[in-house]
Amino acid sequence: MSDAPVTLSIRETLAGKHILLTGASGFVGKVWLAMVLNDIPQIGRIYVLLRGKGRGVKERFEKILNESPVFKPLHEAHEGRMSEFISQRIEVVAGDVSQPHLGMDPETEARLRRDVDVVLHCAGLVDFNPDIREALSSNVEGAMHVADFVESSDHASVLHVSTCYVAGHRDGFVTETIVTDRSPNGTPLHAADEYAKLQEIIAGVQAENDDPATEVNLREDVVRRLAERGHQGDYKRVTDMVGRLKRKRLREMMAKAGTDRAKALGWPNTYTYTKALAELLLECRSDRVRFASFRPAIVESAMEFPFAGWNEGFNTSGPLVYLAGTWFRHVPAAAGNALDVIPVDSVCRALSIVLCALIRGEASQVYQCGSSDRNFLPVDRLTELSALGHRQHLRKHGSDALERLVLSRWDALAADPEHVLNVTNIRKLMGQVTRYLKHGMPEKIPSEVREWADDLSKTTDSGVRKLRQIEDVLEMFMPFTYQHFCVFQCRAIDRHPVAEREFRFAPEDIEWRSYWLDVHMPGLRRWCFPEYEDKPKETYAPQTPFRLLDAPVPESGESRSHAPQPAREEAG
Amino acid sequence: MSAKPTAAFFRAEGVLVSSGVMQAAMFMAGQRAGMRERALRFGQALASAPLFGLLGQNDRTLGNRVAHLCYRDMTEDRIVVLAEEYVDDVLSEKILDSGIELLRRAKADGHRIVVLSEGISEIMERVREKWRYVDDLVCNRLEYRAGKATGKLLDPVIGGYEGGKWLSQYAAVHDIDLSRSFAYAGHGPDLLLLSQVGHPCAVNPDFTLRKAAREADWPLMDYKA
Repeated sequence: MSDAPVTLSIRETLAGKHILLTGASGFVGKVWLAMVLNDIPQIGRIYVLLRGKGRGVKERFEKILNESPVFKPLHEAHEGRMSEFISQRIEVVAGDVSQPHLGMDPETEARLRRDVDVVLHCAGLVDFNPDIREALSSNVEGAMHVADFVESSDHASVLHVSTCYVAGHRDGFVTETIVTDRSPNGTPLHAADEYAKLQEIIAGVQAENDDPATEVNLREDVVRRLAERGHQGDYKRVTDMVGRLKRKRLREMMAKAGTDRAKALGWPNTYTYTKALAELLLECRSDRVRFASFRPAIVESAMEFPFAGWNEGFNTSGPLVYLAGTWFRHVPAAAGNALDVIPVDSVCRALSIVLCALIRGEASQVYQCGSSDRNFLPVDRLTELSALGHRQHLRKHGSDALERLVLSRWDALAADPEHVLNVTNIRKLMGQVTRYLKHGMPEKIPSEVREWADDLSKTTDSGVRKLRQIEDVLEMFMPFTYQHFCVFQCRAIDRHPVAEREFRFAPEDIEWRSYWLDVHMPGLRRWCFPEYEDKPKETYAPQTPFRLLDAPVPESGESRSHAPQPAREEAG
Repeated sequence: MSAKPTAAFFRAEGVLVSSGVMQAAMFMAGQRAGMRERALRFGQALASAPLFGLLGQNDRTLGNRVAHLCYRDMTEDRIVVLAEEYVDDVLSEKILDSGIELLRRAKADGHRIVVLSEGISEIMERVREKWRYVDDLVCNRLEYRAGKATGKLLDPVIGGYEGGKWLSQYAAVHDIDLSRSFAYAGHGPDLLLLSQVGHPCAVNPDFTLRKAAREADWPLMDYKA
């Protein structure tokens, strides 16, 4: 018998299949949902799990579909019939992955257990260093609740969306496997024990914060500060302030506890650590839960769908690209290191392929979805392309001559973090200048000079604050840009050749220069940079707003193997 | 009379554009990544300019090789982006309308239009988009390794005495009747190229070519715009 892989048809495999989608409001979740609705209208039912209750959750879904530009192609394709089209295929389910039973009401849960063929679990907290309780609840317990649902379902399996960076602090070729017995730095690790340890850490931090001595210290501190400002704080005011400080302190301590634990085991941050822990816990249940772990690398702007350049939020390359367009020049990056970037529509195509493989029972355990193994993009090239992209833009659209003539040529460079002009040194220098302008100027100087110095000190002070933010961003990305040379194997997906050309996953076809200059950077400029600059975001307003109908009219003449269920009020 | 097609061969530098490869090399060198690189490579390009001028009269192949050394270690990405900038900001101002008129007339007369340039492909391909009449563009190509220019030109280097030999081969491949074809060029090493066709014309010629054209009784054209 031939071992040649069987070609699968995405449309045929997904026709009539029922999918439970978590994380539909996220970057990847939205694009996948829009892509499937656009390209596979014969899909069965997609149950969209959203946080919220009652009518609110439906309104939230309507808002997403009516305001996000992701759904523009769908609105344009269906115009006045969008509400019917979507309502026939989507059921919005109120729930929360961080809750047992996914936060669904028992009746809905029972129905979904029977109906769902596969769960696409995209939900997760993507902040790098959040409060560890939130990361644990969303990334670890969320995955476990999904596994519970799948285990108790009639026939469902789960595609768990993780990240390539669960590999942690390590160099070299990262294979598509789950390492179950040790952490990235070689510390022996057992998933259940680690989960228990993490809960112990959380309880410890909570206990420390709840210690009466902590409250006494905080209270003394608040009273002293109020006195310094000449206020006589009453008991209620002091108590309120202490309460706020305690909550803030707890969040900070929880974030630090998570980061410390992650780093102690060899992960760069809480996000990758908790995602890795979720994978390990899922693997422990692999005899009872049919699952595949899908690990995208750095998900970036769309090549084609919903349209070239679509992006949103505080993504990984965005802040680095943004920095390359400022006066800051030395991006800490090691020449030759890969920054594994993959367009979001490529990721969504790969997701559909793996979903089909899961449905057919042909899936592997791990799929990495990146470009470094198949179309290597070094970070120094990316830095130069970013500088060149800004050059092209500023030459034509710079706000003044300084931007058009000087800043456009002020190229960012990949440099060693210890470079003499690194951001820390520049910040310190600027801090010294600020201090001199504020306190070091001679007393006998003309008042005009004094005013000028005061004005300048405000500017430099604001510069110091901005540089501090830049420093934090750079430190966060250092593991990816400087510290590690990682190439993520991305071959498991090749075991599933796809019949339809438009669904194929082919990162080797990306031409990085045109992608970066003509797609990604214009996309960031339009969709992400306004957010960094606190400017209003561009939204989409369809001609006919979408409304989720309670009892959608079935489409005539369309072959669908499963009759759509009416959207249920109680589910929303 | 022969039924074979005919061609009009144009040397870009001096005939269609007033600037040459040295200006392009200096522009590129002055836009390298990093201030130190910029200063170093611009100095290198500046120093090679007199040498190029000296060699340009006779051994233009070597002159071109020297002029393009300042591209060394420059990434292909940067060269492509800067080429676009160079064409838009610099070269578009240096296009000779009289040369473009020659190009247009030759096309109207039914000749196959072939442009030969010492410029690098990244620049000339972009210029070609602006010259609608060009059927074939032959220009210099930089050698790249791992996405970076080595500073070497790939063979054949356009601009030297090999132009005549190349033209014969081109005519054979495309079955061109050279005796009824035209050629326009302006540099000493273009002598052999011009001598291959039935209708040569020296345009804005340098000292060497002007002298040779007079001796051969070839038509001479001088224009500055």
